[in-house]
Amino acid sequence: MSTHAATAHAALSPESTTSSGATKALGIGAIGIGLTLIGLFVSGGKIVAFSWLVGLTFWTAIAIGMLMLVMIHHILDASWSVVLRRQFEHGLAAFPWLALLFAPLVIVSWTGSHDLIWKWMNPDYVLASGHTVGHDPLYVKKSAFLNLPMFTVMTALCFIVWIWLSARLRKASFTQDADGDLKWTFMNRKTAAFGLALGAITLTLASIYWVKSLDYHWFSTMFGVWFFANCVRGALSIGVLLLLWLYARGDLKGVLNTNHLHSVGMLVFAFTVFWAYITFSQYFLIWNANIPEETFWYNLREITKAGEPSQWKYVGMLLLFGHFLLPFLYLLSYKNKIVHSRIKPIVIWILLIILVDMIYNIAPAVKDYSTGEPKPFLSISLLWTVTSVIGVGGVFFWAYFKSFAMTKLIPIRDPRIKECLTHHE
Amino acid sequence: MSAKPYGLIATFDTTPSVYHAAEQVRDAGYKNWDCITPFPVHGLDKAMGVKRSNVPKFSLVGGILGFTTGMSLIFYTSYISYPLVVGGKPYFSPLFAFPVAYELTILFTAFATIGGMLFLNGLPMHYHPVLKSSKILSGMDDKFHIVIESSDPKFNLAQTKALLEKVGGKEIQELEA
Repeated sequence: MSTHAATAHAALSPESTTSSGATKALGIGAIGIGLTLIGLFVSGGKIVAFSWLVGLTFWTAIAIGMLMLVMIHHILDASWSVVLRRQFEHGLAAFPWLALLFAPLVIVSWTGSHDLIWKWMNPDYVLASGHTVGHDPLYVKKSAFLNLPMFTVMTALCFIVWIWLSARLRKASFTQDADGDLKWTFMNRKTAAFGLALGAITLTLASIYWVKSLDYHWFSTMFGVWFFANCVRGALSIGVLLLLWLYARGDLKGVLNTNHLHSVGMLVFAFTVFWAYITFSQYFLIWNANIPEETFWYNLREITKAGEPSQWKYVGMLLLFGHFLLPFLYLLSYKNKIVHSRIKPIVIWILLIILVDMIYNIAPAVKDYSTGEPKPFLSISLLWTVTSVIGVGGVFFWAYFKSFAMTKLIPIRDPRIKECLTHHE
Repeated sequence: MSAKPYGLIATFDTTPSVYHAAEQVRDAGYKNWDCITPFPVHGLDKAMGVKRSNVPKFSLVGGILGFTTGMSLIFYTSYISYPLVVGGKPYFSPLFAFPVAYELTILFTAFATIGGMLFLNGLPMHYHPVLKSSKILSGMDDKFHIVIESSDPKFNLAQTKALLEKVGGKEIQELEA
């Protein structure tokens, strides 16, 4: 078993190839952002702003998932995940850049009539009922929470909390590589203890402000948890891809064993069921209570005003079968969790379907001016969503690669590293 | 002493010694044999050449049975036996049958898993020849044992004894049947 540790030591210094990886990622990100900017002239500000929101929410969700997983691993004193944790710590470097990329959405909300994305920011916005938002009782009751200054402060607060927690976790872990002092492990455990509570509150706030309030009439107590399920699932999927990539490159030869993949695969499976549980519960409660303030949200995503099924109905069905049933059945098998060529396609699929889930929750808020119907799923905005995801993703991985080159491949002086390298062996 | 012993028991002092001995017994081609350790040893199943357990198959069957039971239960009670309009909902919808089906899936899966595990282990087992040996006491405390049963097709008293000695086993004894 000691041979594992020996091979690990040989492969500790990240190669210089990652700096070219960083440049490449930034280049891809710039292309994505550039194409999205072209979209401004083709489809107008509103469509592109929503697509940008989807791309940003998708990658922020993955970064939040990484943050929560790192803290969960610390607070549970988990040993199996030490190698995986380092990859998440690199991913956390993306938060400041995500905040920067979010800034345009806040800035456009402060300019013009304020209702480009979140219509409740403009009290004079005329609703379909003929009232303005300012005279809408459902808005008035929520106005202490849903107003532009609060939105700005809360969004800033969320990013500050995430950046601060990430900086603490990263600093402690990276410093321990050099001095091996146990106090960093204890510091991370303390950070995790209050950080998990802060993280839960901020991710719920962010999901409510950014996504749920797009239809501010709507009520759902599940929404923050739904967001959390996607965050963690996305982070785990990216984590698996990074492990497989590092293994294929040779860095993790002798470090990554099948038991690591089995453990992380079981977590992906668990969060598949968790996502389904939350999403079903949300749908089921609304379906059962049958109150118009709640059901309209699903009606928008199922039928047109004439009662015909819309494209969104099939997107919803795709989520039911693709987000839950397919990964659920696939990941039941042990082999599918540990064989590299079998786990890889399913985590890529899960990442794609999480993106579809984000689109499903965000995009129908864009209504067609003439008919008042949501814009269909297959429209030009899907193209700008893809360019946004590529743009933000490029920046995300640029931050990852920059951090990757800064420190060791695995936390070599973590007190649990030996236990991790021989996980279940 | 009866003509044929139940098997041979060998004692080992450390975890690595029993681990490596198990690898050699496995490579010698024995099938009916077992290790006795005071605590679970990671990777010993691999060293013994034990395949992955068949319990998940029982779980899967239990899960499918539970799901269909839940769905049929709600379908029978609310659609066939006593149809009643509640809250303007249809007599039957998989939506409200789902929580019941979901819970029964979990329950039946748990039953099938526990039951399948006991069945495959041959538990409950009130008697085992190893219990007659005083070795079992140290096997539950601080020593490790390998038992090779005489029912193994490769079993040969002299050769098996030699093998156990070769792999480092001490105090090799015959177990009464």
